[in-house]
Amino acid sequence: MKARYFIAGFCLLVVLAQAAIVKKEPAPFVLVLPPHFPAPVYDFKHNPLTKPGVALGRFMFYDYRLSKDSTVSCGFCHQQFAAFGHFDHALAHGVAGAQGVRSVPTLFNMIWQRSFMWDGGVNHLDIQPLTPLTDHNEMAMDLGELLVKMRKDTMYRRMYKEAFGTDSITSERMFKAFSQFIATMISATSKYDSVMQHTAVFTPEEEAGYKIFQQKCSSCHKEPLFTDYSYRSNGLPYLEALNDVGRMKITGNVEDNLRFKVPSLRNILKSAPYMHDGRFYDIFQVFDFYDHGVKVTATTDPLVKNGISLDEKEKRQLYFFLNTLTDEHFLKSEALSEILIPE
Amino acid sequence: MILRIFLCMILAGSAVQVMGQSASLELSVTHQFGGKPLQRGMPYLAPAGDTFTISRFRYFISNFSLLDMNGKETALPPAYFLVDDAKEESKIMTLKDVPPGSYKSIRFLIGVDSIKNVSGPQSGALAVESGMFWSWNSGYIMAQLEGHSPVIKSPTREFVFHVGGYRQKDQVLKFVTLSFPAPVQITGSQNKRISMTADVNKWFLPDTVGFLHQPVVMAPGPQARKLAANYRHMFTITSVGE
Repeated sequence: MKARYFIAGFCLLVVLAQAAIVKKEPAPFVLVLPPHFPAPVYDFKHNPLTKPGVALGRFMFYDYRLSKDSTVSCGFCHQQFAAFGHFDHALAHGVAGAQGVRSVPTLFNMIWQRSFMWDGGVNHLDIQPLTPLTDHNEMAMDLGELLVKMRKDTMYRRMYKEAFGTDSITSERMFKAFSQFIATMISATSKYDSVMQHTAVFTPEEEAGYKIFQQKCSSCHKEPLFTDYSYRSNGLPYLEALNDVGRMKITGNVEDNLRFKVPSLRNILKSAPYMHDGRFYDIFQVFDFYDHGVKVTATTDPLVKNGISLDEKEKRQLYFFLNTLTDEHFLKSEALSEILIPE
Repeated sequence: MILRIFLCMILAGSAVQVMGQSASLELSVTHQFGGKPLQRGMPYLAPAGDTFTISRFRYFISNFSLLDMNGKETALPPAYFLVDDAKEESKIMTLKDVPPGSYKSIRFLIGVDSIKNVSGPQSGALAVESGMFWSWNSGYIMAQLEGHSPVIKSPTREFVFHVGGYRQKDQVLKFVTLSFPAPVQITGSQNKRISMTADVNKWFLPDTVGFLHQPVVMAPGPQARKLAANYRHMFTITSVGE
């Protein structure tokens, strides 16, 4: 009988001891997905969002020390007020005045995207930051050196420990923390979204613009993400100076010559300049291009081969509709805004 | 009585642990050029007749399995190694949890399987800071050979063979099956050692590769496929021991 009490007591002790050594799990980050969006393609099973994970990703996103000469952060080119594109910059530029050949893509709704960059060369959201971090025209960092730098920093060690349980700083953890922050960049609260959810109505001009959009634009800029994530040649005249063949560089397939990713139209009026090389600074230049500027080549998409006719009234209406895609909540969200990086 | 059951359980638990100890295979590789130990910086003669030196030689091997006397294949637990000629420790690889049996050959992949090429960042040997991963066109560089040759016209006279490509069209993933000199018996927890060589001369044959035509290979494509079809023959098992 005594033995029985002894064992029961012992078992209780074991249970208590185990409970005490169970690591404190980081608080989960509950990501609210827009009800009118499809299911995201990003697999959160391999990278569940946590509050400290998202915070670490945000800190790194705005940390200029992640570049070779500590001048350029991710947020340097990806500006929140420009929907995380680069306001007024046709081509991306990085450390020491280096300039690339493409414009800075906007960042939002990335968890619905299957491949990344204008040419789709990057095949996973988690590995995407490798390109800007190491590209000589961007942050020009050696990844090994960056990890050494981070491991020496007590603040980073603390943040990694909070996010992942131990203070081991690996490239895998770094990339996953980036994704955790990027995943929270969701733009789905524009006037258009309110209209779709029946909490607002379009003005007559917006409504007319929406009809034009549906007739002439929505095959590629598919709702509700306003892109079908395909790669197409829209007939934009080839620029010899930049010699950018687009997706053909990735696939080696001549059919992909001059094909680029269809960009989302969300926040479009906030994210000029336009096209993969930022050649248009005004959305009306884009309308004019589709109306009479398409240059047909062997790979030009059949949908734009004959141009997209838009008269002055239609352009105006389309402008008003595109304006309803501006998401002020997203552009001003404090959870995404730049943070001060202490020395 | 309950105490006895409790004790029995503890004992049984440790017994399982002891029985769970399994054999390991230690795989070591020696790099060669034309049958002699490879020396980086040493002038060599390529089969096409050009002199050249080697400055860097690295490759991944993974997806190991063993074939028994009846040809039945047993996959070993997932393991990925990045072998670097400049790092001696990378030339000794331990394959754990080898099931008991009598085996006639070993099979492995030169490179990293397509799944790991599309699954985002990895750790250990596959961590991308090795530089063995393309940032602009995601995917691992499966094997890498760099050096110099006076026949190359560029200012640096450097050749750079970065062989990669996991998509069907430009796939360079090569499985190799290597026979043991005599059957290898794996029993209980007794470890075995396998020694093999990798001869860099095989990169240039049988489909002759010279330096003049295309000294820089840094993307998936026909030249990468050609190099991979050559180097798949570079491994030979030399001995098996305790």
